[in-house]
Amino acid sequence: MNATGIPLKEPAISAAAGDTEQFERALIDASTRVPVLIFYTSAVAWLILGTLLAGFVSFKLHTPDLLSDISFLTWGRVRPVHMNVMVYGWASMAGMGTAIWLMARLCRTVLRYPLLLVAGAGFWNLGVFLGVCGILLGDSTGYQWLEFPSYAAIILFVAYTLVASWAVLMFRFRRGEQIYITQWYLLAAFLWFPWLYAAGQLMLFVVPVQGVLQAAVGWWYANNLLFLWFGAIGLGTAYYMIPKVIGRPVYSYHLATIGFWSYALFSSWTGMQRLVDGPFPAWMVTASIAATILTLIPVATVGLNHHMTMQGYFPLMRYSPTLRFTVFGAMSYTVFSLVGVLISLRSVARYVNFTQASIAYSHLGLYAFFTMVIFGSMYYIVPRLIGREWRYGSLIKLHFWASAYGIGLMTLMLLAGGLTQGTGMENPSLAFSESVESVLPYLRGRSLSGILLTVSHFVFAYHFGLMLFGLGRKSTVPTFLNPVEAEGAEVAH
Amino acid sequence: MKGLAPLFLGIFGTFAFSWVGLTVIPNWQIGHLNPQSDEEGTDIYPMPQSGMVTRGARVYAANGCNYCHSQQVRAEYSGADIERKWGDRRSAPRDYIFERPALLGKMRMGQDLANIGARAPKEEESPSPAGGPSSAPQAAAASPGTVASAKAASPPQATSPSPPTAPATSPGAIASKPPTSPGPAGPPPSKSPAAAAAGGTSPAAAASPPSAGPPWPEQTAGLPPMYSAAWHHVHLYSPRSINLDSNMPSYRFLYQTRRISDARSSDALQLTGSDAPPEGWEIVPTYDAKCLVAYMMALNQSHPLKDVRSPGASAASSPATSPSPAPGGQPAK
Repeated sequence: MNATGIPLKEPAISAAAGDTEQFERALIDASTRVPVLIFYTSAVAWLILGTLLAGFVSFKLHTPDLLSDISFLTWGRVRPVHMNVMVYGWASMAGMGTAIWLMARLCRTVLRYPLLLVAGAGFWNLGVFLGVCGILLGDSTGYQWLEFPSYAAIILFVAYTLVASWAVLMFRFRRGEQIYITQWYLLAAFLWFPWLYAAGQLMLFVVPVQGVLQAAVGWWYANNLLFLWFGAIGLGTAYYMIPKVIGRPVYSYHLATIGFWSYALFSSWTGMQRLVDGPFPAWMVTASIAATILTLIPVATVGLNHHMTMQGYFPLMRYSPTLRFTVFGAMSYTVFSLVGVLISLRSVARYVNFTQASIAYSHLGLYAFFTMVIFGSMYYIVPRLIGREWRYGSLIKLHFWASAYGIGLMTLMLLAGGLTQGTGMENPSLAFSESVESVLPYLRGRSLSGILLTVSHFVFAYHFGLMLFGLGRKSTVPTFLNPVEAEGAEVAH
Repeated sequence: MKGLAPLFLGIFGTFAFSWVGLTVIPNWQIGHLNPQSDEEGTDIYPMPQSGMVTRGARVYAANGCNYCHSQQVRAEYSGADIERKWGDRRSAPRDYIFERPALLGKMRMGQDLANIGARAPKEEESPSPAGGPSSAPQAAAASPGTVASAKAASPPQATSPSPPTAPATSPGAIASKPPTSPGPAGPPPSKSPAAAAAGGTSPAAAASPPSAGPPWPEQTAGLPPMYSAAWHHVHLYSPRSINLDSNMPSYRFLYQTRRISDARSSDALQLTGSDAPPEGWEIVPTYDAKCLVAYMMALNQSHPLKDVRSPGASAASSPATSPSPAPGGQPAK
């Protein structure tokens, strides 16, 4: 099948029944407009801040004297701020925005209780802001992704409770018996996150566990946040966007079921593999390594499902921004998992455990997979909220390529650098400083990739700002990456 | 999928499985360890830490030291940590029972610090502040011809010639090369700026710590003995005055520059060269800096643990070492 015969928008709807359905859908979209745009706008603002911080952190790592005399600009404070801004400010808020829109659409009901969401977004922003200030002033707790001091954490939790209770309420108002795959993932994410966050906070700060178990709880939290919160939202979004854009049902529900439950079961047991041969009972680490290897089951099923759904429709990636970003993200999920398995094997972990390679792994998950899927969903959702289409196809293209090359370069640099650093470190006849020096060229390369990503994010923020101020195109035809007419295609919509 | 109940049950079930498996059961297994002691109830290890050390741990966490420095020594079969002299034995859960937060770390852009306190020179052996007359004899010992003997006396501290295969690229790159192949054939030893300023090198064999330090960084003349509290202060204030290749940011915001009122404070940093304050001024650590250094000096896992076999040398010094691991939470295989 070639690209020309394929509808590029919604599947062609003919009769009057289709009109009603389309009308309903427009009503639902309109009802989600304010809350989702609040989440998206906040997320993009945090993204820009996080990007600037990322560049700063990256340069400081190979230029240690850069602005190091100011306490709140020291590397060890700016780095956690960058991570937390990206994790809680950008990724969580954008993910929640997309999840809210998807919930309303899939429950087939207009969004109710929007004030819950508006208040949730407000408190969430406040929590992230206070947390950032707290870290800069020297209140960081020192646990990865839980650095926010308790006064910020409690506000985040309140904000989250508002959003999650909204999600459960919405679910009660849903119409129709069938619960679509995306809803499994979203519901799971909405329920997993509070338990995870509460467990992490309680076991580390309220009733702290003893000694090394704090580190174990910390890594259990960080890894599960990656899989059960971001991963679940990302996979759920991909399960909606890919079939939607190409106008074709998901290839197999059975595969999706296997994929979902194996994902829930195995990915939640990962985390300790990142502490290979640390001071822990060996069974904990071994269990996590086994679980990491077993995550190949959901990877294979999800990947196969997406692939079979896309079969014959891949040429559409040439035109649809949503599809291009989403498929890139879905493919990155496979790469992310494979790298995760590779670096958790004891024989490899020995070399890469304490190196930049683990940074590459986090970026693969949070950026190449999750962020790219969320970008894709935003390209789909924002025009439906605002009633305008994206203004420039060329800017979307620039955004995509800068992001794709940026994250690709970053991953390669950090993986190669990590391996170099690790082999140097494992060779005791080399001075330790040589292992550090050997990774510096790769870190400079990483800074280069940071420039690409900065370009891509500023382009996206500019484009998003145009949309927000109503400067998008007035058209019924979505913005394509390449002119469809030039290919002689008939666009059905 | 139809029906909400199985979905909800499954979502909660999988998560509960993971939560119980990876946090609750480990907590039941190793979450309530006590310090170990010998039969008479003496020789207790580990001991609770002082208030300054506890506060120092928070300063360490607040400034993100743990993003570059780990605090865990892996067993000899799973890494080169012990060969790098980062510890005599692997770390075990019992080492950390009083640590809060427990900052094990995941990155080694800097050295492992699990035993940084153990590497400090013994109090009574500390030589007088550097640059003193005591450094003169050692300076002679460090000339290329006698390096081998100097190395035998105190391997890591000796300012050794660079290996012929990897000649020093910068005139100040004293500390970047290990003393792997000392010999008369090597190029003349390069000196750090401080060493050059002091006009000699000072291996300071007297300051050699009991567990020999790593090959990096090396003792620099004109500075306090390596890994002493005073050395840590200078290192935090100006890492590249000790080691030109260091990639550590300086933490000058933890220090105060103030005018000397009547006499120079005993806390004042012993700085040389461009870092030295102007005449009549001195640089003193803030309370946070003192706590941070107190914390680092307290990082010490050199005490043998019954849970852990100590490889090689330390077996002789610790009769308590037992090949059979103690019940309850032994990490050893």
